[in-house]
Amino acid sequence: MRNKNPRKALNPRVKVVVYAKMASSTVSGGPGSYLNIKSVLFNPTGWRSLITFTVLALAWLAGFSSRLFSVIRFESIIHEFDPWFNYRSTAYMVKHGFYNFLNWFDDRAWYPLGRIVGGTVYPGLMITSGAIHHILHLLNIPIHIQEICVFLAPIFSGMTAIATYLLTKELWSNGAGLFAASFIAIVPGYISRSVAGSYDNEGIAIFALMFTYYLWVKSVKTGTTFWAAMAAFSYMYMVSAWGGYVFIINLVPLHVFVLLLMGRFSLRIYTAYTVFYIVGLIMSMQIPFVGFQPVRTSEHMAAAGVFVLLNVVGGLRYIQGFMSKAEFRYLAVFGSAIAAGVVFLGVVVLTYAGFIAPWSGRFYSLWDTGYAKLHIPIIASVSEHQPTTWFAFFFDLHILIAVFPVGVWYCIRYITDERVFIVLYALTATYFAGVMVRLMLTLTPVVCVLSGIAFSELFSVYMKDEDGKKHGDESNGDAADRNNKMYDKAGKVPKMKHEVAKEDAGTAGTGLGMNLRSIVVVAMLMMLLLFAVHCTWVTSHAYSSPSIIIATYSHDGTRHIIDDFREAYYWLWQNTPEDSRIMSWWDYGYQIAGMGNRTTLVDNNTWNNTHIALVGKAMASNESTAYPIMLSLGVDYVLVIFGGAIGYSGDDINKFLWMVRIAEGEWPTEVREKDYFTERGEYKVNNEATDIFLNCMMYKMCYYKFADHAVSFGAPRGYDRLRSTVIGNMDFDLKYLEEAYTTENWIVRIYKVKKPESFIRHRIPATKRVVKPRNFLKKGKKVGGKGVIKNRPSITKGKRPQKPMR
Amino acid sequence: MKSLGERVQQLTENAMKKSITRMNKEKFMLYAKSVPRNYSLVVMFTALSSKRQCAICRQAFDEFQIVANSFRYSQSFSNKLFFGLVDFDEASDVFQYMKVNAAPQIMHFPGKGKQKKGDVMDFGMYGLSAEAVAKWILERTEIQIRVFRPPNYSGSIAILILFVLVAGLLYLRRNNLDFLANKTMWGLACLGFMFAMISGQMWNHIRSPPFIHRNHQGNFGYIYGSSQGQLVLETYIVIGIYAAIVFGMILMIESGSNTSKTDVGKKKLQAVIGLALMAFFFSLLLSIFRSKSGGYPYSFLLK
Repeated sequence: MRNKNPRKALNPRVKVVVYAKMASSTVSGGPGSYLNIKSVLFNPTGWRSLITFTVLALAWLAGFSSRLFSVIRFESIIHEFDPWFNYRSTAYMVKHGFYNFLNWFDDRAWYPLGRIVGGTVYPGLMITSGAIHHILHLLNIPIHIQEICVFLAPIFSGMTAIATYLLTKELWSNGAGLFAASFIAIVPGYISRSVAGSYDNEGIAIFALMFTYYLWVKSVKTGTTFWAAMAAFSYMYMVSAWGGYVFIINLVPLHVFVLLLMGRFSLRIYTAYTVFYIVGLIMSMQIPFVGFQPVRTSEHMAAAGVFVLLNVVGGLRYIQGFMSKAEFRYLAVFGSAIAAGVVFLGVVVLTYAGFIAPWSGRFYSLWDTGYAKLHIPIIASVSEHQPTTWFAFFFDLHILIAVFPVGVWYCIRYITDERVFIVLYALTATYFAGVMVRLMLTLTPVVCVLSGIAFSELFSVYMKDEDGKKHGDESNGDAADRNNKMYDKAGKVPKMKHEVAKEDAGTAGTGLGMNLRSIVVVAMLMMLLLFAVHCTWVTSHAYSSPSIIIATYSHDGTRHIIDDFREAYYWLWQNTPEDSRIMSWWDYGYQIAGMGNRTTLVDNNTWNNTHIALVGKAMASNESTAYPIMLSLGVDYVLVIFGGAIGYSGDDINKFLWMVRIAEGEWPTEVREKDYFTERGEYKVNNEATDIFLNCMMYKMCYYKFADHAVSFGAPRGYDRLRSTVIGNMDFDLKYLEEAYTTENWIVRIYKVKKPESFIRHRIPATKRVVKPRNFLKKGKKVGGKGVIKNRPSITKGKRPQKPMR
Repeated sequence: MKSLGERVQQLTENAMKKSITRMNKEKFMLYAKSVPRNYSLVVMFTALSSKRQCAICRQAFDEFQIVANSFRYSQSFSNKLFFGLVDFDEASDVFQYMKVNAAPQIMHFPGKGKQKKGDVMDFGMYGLSAEAVAKWILERTEIQIRVFRPPNYSGSIAILILFVLVAGLLYLRRNNLDFLANKTMWGLACLGFMFAMISGQMWNHIRSPPFIHRNHQGNFGYIYGSSQGQLVLETYIVIGIYAAIVFGMILMIESGSNTSKTDVGKKKLQAVIGLALMAFFFSLLLSIFRSKSGGYPYSFLLK
């Protein structure tokens, strides 16, 4: 076997020297004592493990604590939207047990349809925190499930760092692994989804992703069934945790396919992939939500195709031994052509026959980037599904995004089977991250790995100790020799020319001189320092807001907390009947269910577009059109988010056009987006707006009695602070709704839908009433009434006491 | 003067032959202006002849034709809606009669009553595409047309040709396939792809921003002022910066690990150049980032 990896053989030794130097200076504090720990150098693995352990522990600690901003600033609380659903299901599971959770039919959501929760979630997240809860309670640590949910993502970030370390170590070297682990612990691209309180699938899924990749690389390197099976187990955990598992089941086959193209077929790859595919396939189908998808949808067909191809290639290789060259060539060409043709035709035919579902819209929009905008407004409406600017890349990854191509460069230059994998990962992940901001999350780990490699290469060159080397001619030589033996597998491989040359040069050092090397190292350290500061700044400013509590700062620095959402949900919980149904835009569905504990019509699980469009239509049409819709849906209360009073930008008026668009998708003749724009095609709330907009439900619910509310001193009547205009329609009454509750800053407004009975009553003139109004006040003697002093004018509030006329 | 029935019959016959009826003044007066009508007529006013040099007319006509064909071959084909075309070079008198002085334009002649304000399609508001025309027709006539685009084979053909070319090249050079193992080539290709992606070319592709920004004084702006957008030139600048940083870093690593006994001065120079490239361009990148983000406190070397 040729040594494909001369660099790898060389690197650890360099590292050892560096670490030993670092360790010696930290422990004994000077070059003078360098010789004293020479004995330790004979056993460098001890130091290596200690340093590795320390760095990883520190990375975990740093990652954990930089995710706590929101807990320290506000309180330990679940954030945003989706986490509320996850928390609610976890709480349900902890209370009712796992099997009841799997069979849970939630009648509190999607009224009147309901939702089968157990079959429509990835249960990995709930199982993980449920298991932690269970273990802690076995140990008699009485912790509430909410605390576990809040702190789950920060804890897992440390495990992600370790998985990244392992992967990078397999790909390159120990030092690169430590760099990568430290990067991923604090990089904003990952923190954005894993701050304390953001209890979402991604928090644990990135760990599962990296760990699966580590095990896959390990199984490719060793070619043993054990590691491949381990990779399949880890893959199952990933499938149970996040829909992004599709990335793995396409990237791994792509890796195998490219290896085949490169002529790198080997039994190691054959064993690794066949075991991984079969075991992984069977285990992924155990997740109720995934079910038969792995054999029935197009997203998974690439994996099956590569499995067949790999077996064909393996079979041909086997036959090769029994045939002459000419015969074999004939067979190989025809055999592979026929096999490829059969697989392709089979997939096409099965797709047409309906056995294999074609690509889902969400997946399809990754390839044809204009697709979602045209056909699926509900996907286009989510801000995470937008393409990414270079600014966003730099914001999330800082220096790493500029440096990681260096890592790719060196991986290609010293290519091995497993480095093909990381290059493919980098290429695909950059593409996906470019298409969708949200997929920055899958790009982040690979960027950390590759820039870890780049920085480790640089430092290993510039921190090589020339003096130490010269010194080591007599003292260190022995150790170096031993190390060499250790890592080169006892001289099995004859040294390559390259390596020998390096050895020679090693005695002469790099020849760059002490000063230059220190300058380079200091400059690099300064850039890395900037990276660390940047990460903290971004985490603190951009990613640590729980978004259900908002903090504002006045110019003297005092903090003002706006807690309207919880106020409103608390009101719902305390003041409405338990079975009342709340209509709101889908963004707030999970929060109403989680905090208000009331039934919702639509929520953030956007599985039924028509139902959402129905709500959108009700919001977009006028009261008398919307009333029958609301009655048919059994709505008791309507909840809107309104930011005009204090200038909160994420309100329903700003989201309103999406409601119109989604409704228009279902009823193109009844709701038209154009009707909501002014003559000049602008979206405004002032008197230029169309009558349809000024009289639709959403407008009326937001601005009901708004004109009578003074937003700030000196502002004109009916002044909207968010959109900086005076609203177009100020004084109106609601016929079918009545205001039920408005929070302190007017952010949440709740309306009660009047029952049809309240409109049947006719007004009967007083003369025709059967029960005549009686005069309850008896004249003369008063029993227990308020005493009146004679000849004193009685004062009614708000009226001037009448002065006697002169 | 022909009766209503005759006209409808004639129009239907025309439509069966060709989905768009070309009209001169005589036909236009007959079909679009004579009363009574029980059909809607959608007419495009345009100038298609090549001497007019109207690029957008051709484009608009193609889209219009897609709509007309989709209607012609759809289930909902009826004699309630017809498509017509008036070309300036064939019937300039119609343009004068209708007081149309810009092309292209799409007008709707309703079956009942007079033309209203919205019966002239506003391209600025709707756009030019077939979907937009279909939507506008739906609003005007309440006839829904599902736009069916004839599949665009040019993309597939281009890929096929490329594939054949590559395969042919490989076949011609089958005795000397070493260039496929050229790692520098593959490395450069990968870096190029990644630079394109991380500099937001996909964003440019989807949002199609302007190439350069020109303000009122006629000065050019290369950098978009906020973090929400970017200019095309700006992304090219960013690609250049990334490339310089990567090149600088590779230079630095190579200068140190290049172990052949070349003279030390050259290696030192290489390392210094690498460091200078990396430090300078990284601080440039940081300062562009800072200028876009507003309130970002950190900078390196450059303000």
